[in-house]
Amino acid sequence: MIVPFEHVLAMASALFVLGLTCTLVRRQLIMILIGVEIMLNAAALALVGASAFWQQVDGQVFVVLLMAITASEVAVALAMVFYLRHRKGTIVADQFNRMHG
Amino acid sequence: MSETLLFLIPLLPLACAVVNMLFGMRLPRLFAETTAVAGVATSTALTLLFWDYSVGEGTRAVLGTWLSSGSLDVAFALRFDALAAPMTLMVTGVATLIHLYAVGYMHEDQDYARFFGLLNLFVFAMLTIVLADNLLVLFLGWEGVGLCSYGLIGFWYSKLDNAKAGTKAFMVTRVGDVFFGIALLWLFSLTGTLSISEINAQAASISPGVVIVLTLLLLLGACGKSAQLPLMTWLADAMAGPTPVSALIHAATMVTAGVYLLCRMFPLISLSAVGMTAITAIGALTALYAATCALAQREIKRVLAYSTMSQVGYMFMAVGAGTVSGAMFHLLTHAFFKALLFMAAGCVIHLAGNENDIFKMGGLARRSPPELLWVFLAGAVCLAGVPLTGGFFSKDGILLALFTHGDPVYKLFWLVGVITALLTAFYTFRLVYLVFAGEPRGHGHPHTIPMQMRWPLWPLALLGLAGGLLNLPVLVGGGERLHHWLGGQAGRHVTASHNLEWLLIGLAIVIVAVGWAAAHWRYRVFRGARDTKTTRFLLDGWRADQLVDLMILRPFNAIAGFCWIGCDRTLFDGTLNVLASQARASGNLLRRMTTGRLSSYLAAFAWGFLLILGWVLMTLVGRGGGH
Amino acid sequence: MAILPHIPWLTLLICLPLTGAMLCMLADERERTSHWLALATTAIIFVITIGLFISYGAGGAGWLLHEDAIWIDRYGIRYSLGMDGISLLLVLLTAFLHLIAVLASWPIERHAPRFLGLLLLLETGLMGIFLAIDLVLFYVFWEVMLIPMFLMIGIWGGEQRRQAALKFFLYALAGSLAMLVALIALYLLHGEQTGSYTFALAELMKTRLTLPQEILLFSGFMLAFAIKTPLVPFHTWLPDAHAESPASGAVDLTGLLLKTGVFGMIRIAFPLFPAATRFALPLLGILALTGLFHAAWGAYRQNDIKRLFAYSSISHVGLILLGLAAWQITAWEGSILLMLTNAIATGALFVLIAMIRQRTGTCQIDELSGLWGQAPNLSALFLLFALASLGLPGLANFAGEILVLIGTFQTHPVWASLAVVAVVFAAAYILRLVQGVIWGPISGTRITYDLTPREWLILVPMAILVIWLGLYPAPFLTPLHEPVQLLLGGSP
Repeated sequence: MIVPFEHVLAMASALFVLGLTCTLVRRQLIMILIGVEIMLNAAALALVGASAFWQQVDGQVFVVLLMAITASEVAVALAMVFYLRHRKGTIVADQFNRMHG
Repeated sequence: MSETLLFLIPLLPLACAVVNMLFGMRLPRLFAETTAVAGVATSTALTLLFWDYSVGEGTRAVLGTWLSSGSLDVAFALRFDALAAPMTLMVTGVATLIHLYAVGYMHEDQDYARFFGLLNLFVFAMLTIVLADNLLVLFLGWEGVGLCSYGLIGFWYSKLDNAKAGTKAFMVTRVGDVFFGIALLWLFSLTGTLSISEINAQAASISPGVVIVLTLLLLLGACGKSAQLPLMTWLADAMAGPTPVSALIHAATMVTAGVYLLCRMFPLISLSAVGMTAITAIGALTALYAATCALAQREIKRVLAYSTMSQVGYMFMAVGAGTVSGAMFHLLTHAFFKALLFMAAGCVIHLAGNENDIFKMGGLARRSPPELLWVFLAGAVCLAGVPLTGGFFSKDGILLALFTHGDPVYKLFWLVGVITALLTAFYTFRLVYLVFAGEPRGHGHPHTIPMQMRWPLWPLALLGLAGGLLNLPVLVGGGERLHHWLGGQAGRHVTASHNLEWLLIGLAIVIVAVGWAAAHWRYRVFRGARDTKTTRFLLDGWRADQLVDLMILRPFNAIAGFCWIGCDRTLFDGTLNVLASQARASGNLLRRMTTGRLSSYLAAFAWGFLLILGWVLMTLVGRGGGH
Repeated sequence: MAILPHIPWLTLLICLPLTGAMLCMLADERERTSHWLALATTAIIFVITIGLFISYGAGGAGWLLHEDAIWIDRYGIRYSLGMDGISLLLVLLTAFLHLIAVLASWPIERHAPRFLGLLLLLETGLMGIFLAIDLVLFYVFWEVMLIPMFLMIGIWGGEQRRQAALKFFLYALAGSLAMLVALIALYLLHGEQTGSYTFALAELMKTRLTLPQEILLFSGFMLAFAIKTPLVPFHTWLPDAHAESPASGAVDLTGLLLKTGVFGMIRIAFPLFPAATRFALPLLGILALTGLFHAAWGAYRQNDIKRLFAYSSISHVGLILLGLAAWQITAWEGSILLMLTNAIATGALFVLIAMIRQRTGTCQIDELSGLWGQAPNLSALFLLFALASLGLPGLANFAGEILVLIGTFQTHPVWASLAVVAVVFAAAYILRLVQGVIWGPISGTRITYDLTPREWLILVPMAILVIWLGLYPAPFLTPLHEPVQLLLGGSP
């Protein structure tokens, strides 16, 4: 392996924390979605790294699956964001609190 | 003839009652009336026909099983014996006459079917008491007469006061029934049977202390039905019912059921001297109490009601003094002359234009058909105990029994009896003078009296006057027939020296004379009603009703209210409501966490994730350190 | 003895009402059809139960009829039904009262098919409870019974129906859950001991338990039964449920639902936990006496006739439980007889109250008066059933009451004496009611008609039964002798 496994994991962790921060801090639905995508990518990176490290193909298979899911998820999410903006004229997440108790 | 035919005696009136209740309104009036009278009259005839069955030990007849479970086995059984036979004959005979009278009395009432149905049902229930072979069948009749009395007192139900009087009668007698009920349960658990004769046979094996309690329980049960202290408040109000009902139920038959019960259970109760003294004491107190109340009453039927109470008190005294034959003797003569007095009073009220108040009557001697005065007088002299009438002999027999009793305390009861006799003579003649003497004081429009109301009075007047022949003492050449007829059930045979008997008879004559003289002096000319504290106190029956209201009804109402509102509403439902509102409050608290905002959910998610991660790391570190 | 052909009668008793219920629901919006359908179903069931009563009325030891099949084998749950003398009488009562209830619900117009469907579903549940001898099967029917009643009160009830239905449901559910936990615990304990996991009543009775274990499990079952019975202090749901439920619902409620609690004690709680029963009987007796008095007093102050009779039912149940607590054969037979007689007398009264309400628009005592002057036939029958409920000798309730009292006196004289005292209070509230409603001057709404033929058809059989049971209860006592002997044989 050219890149040491520790570096891959550190990279993935950093990416995950960045994504999480983005998700938690931003209020725009789009930005939250991007944060979620970043976290997913961090996970995918860790999987690929692990797959290479243990010479097992499972990790890579899972990443392919993950990409497909991510793509469909984004498609649905974006459609919903579009719909929500159409209804309320905003995509700030906290404005959509009708489900409060 | 098989002995099962004896069941026809009570069942015929029942059948007629059922016919009248179910179909009476759809049938012609005459048919309903005929059915009612015929049923009772046939029973009378059958009683005479089957008279021989009662000789000796009597006859037991069984119709079938009623209740059978475990060791309990109760049959519909009756016993026609020496005690039951005269009582049966009296009940059916008097009832026949009263039914006839009622045909005339109710001839304007539209609700005749209900009336005759209930009256017939009453005769059935009364005969059930009289003929019952076991206590449970007796109890069936016992409650049955209470029910019919309830229905008939409140017969004119559209006046709520009448319905209330009926309810009161039912309630007060039910209080007595509780004690009877407990006695019944106890007797079964002691003897394993409910048959009256078997209980009496086993009575000697019951421990004396228990017998005392049982006697007191039976006494209280009898007090309820017989309107004795302390359960006497209902009888005066019961006069709200139609007059034939007062004559039949509240004079001749039902109120004497208590006496009959004590006579039936005599072998048991006579075992306890304490119990016998208690019976006599209750009788004496009631006799005196009711006689004083009768002094001040203004309504003719209430005077008679209190006098009934007083006379039943005499019967209790007789039982207490140990002479069943004396009690039965007075019971029979009293039934004749009191039914007579009530029915005559009904005629009087009719004549006075539905006026009840004797202070507003007067002068009826001139307006009434002469025979009414004579029959009323016949009843009155019996009640007052004028020598040679039936009432004289029967009352005198009781006083003699009290006087000759071994226990000195009975002398005191005798004295009470004598004073009561004096009062009785006084209020009886007061009644006669107020109703018949002087000038008319009322303005009522007199009604004519139908035939059916007149002629049933004559046989009763004869029976009352000649009732003494039933049990004429040896002293005046009689044979004490009733005493010998009852045989083993007659109780103590009262014997006294001839001198003593003559002395007591002389005293009785003096008492009647004094009572009559006082009434003559006071009421021959009506000098207006006096309204003093004493008369009002007596008029209200010693304010017993207010006392009951204060001591029992109000506390009961309060307890009932507490059970419902205090307990159920406040305590149980309140506790649950507090629990429910607590649950709701905690729910409300938790509800705040559901803000509906994505950011707070995400934050919570992140914190939770962090927590789990931290915990996983801690365990990893801990495990690493362990090695 | 068995003059009937060999058919799974018990399954039929459960399936017939279920089928009828489905058909009624399918007959949506066709009211007349559903009425006749329900009537036919209940009538057939009634005929079957009469046949069973004639064939097996002589009683006998053990199960008179028994059916058994594998249901969920993995957990040892079986579909097993059994009928002894006690359940024979209760099944007969269920069939009779449902026939009456269907006739009584003729005036219901709002969603009649659904109502009748629920009524028949209720019958299924009740039949199941009285016949099941597998605990899971029993529990299933126990819950089946709950839902139709909840809906009947909640949809067809009076003004406060929602609260009443909710209260009923919560109470019942609390009890059922306690029972469920106890049931599973018993199943596991038995399985651990013997290695065979089963819910069969007869098998579970052989479980060896320590006294604390028994008491704990017994309390779980008893809580469910005591709430349903209802035993004071778990009774406050009943007056509300009664006051709000429709006429036929009320008939079912007093007539049968309350009896399931007592039946549960007799069939399940007492035989399963004899030691705990011996321990708890005095407490049960005292609570029963408390209920007897408490409810009689409470009834005295009620203004709503339905509420009054709800309290009266609680009071009667107190007497029934007193008889059970006396643990004596006469008292037990009296208690079971009293279950029947009370169901009929009070059931008839609820039907009558509905008729009065239909005519006058009210069932408040102070708004009614002088009914006899306007509708003498109706009033006479009202009086008859009221007097039966008061315990007048010669009418139905007395037979049961006197047996309970005589039996109880053998073992607990003080209890029995106190219970006799309570009879006065029963007279007090009944006479107050009769005086207020039947007697007095005619006032308020004028009633224009007396009983209709349909109403005669409902009331006359009940009146005949009330008198029959009062004068000749022997046919209904005979099948009880052996089962009661058997049940009492085990413990105290």
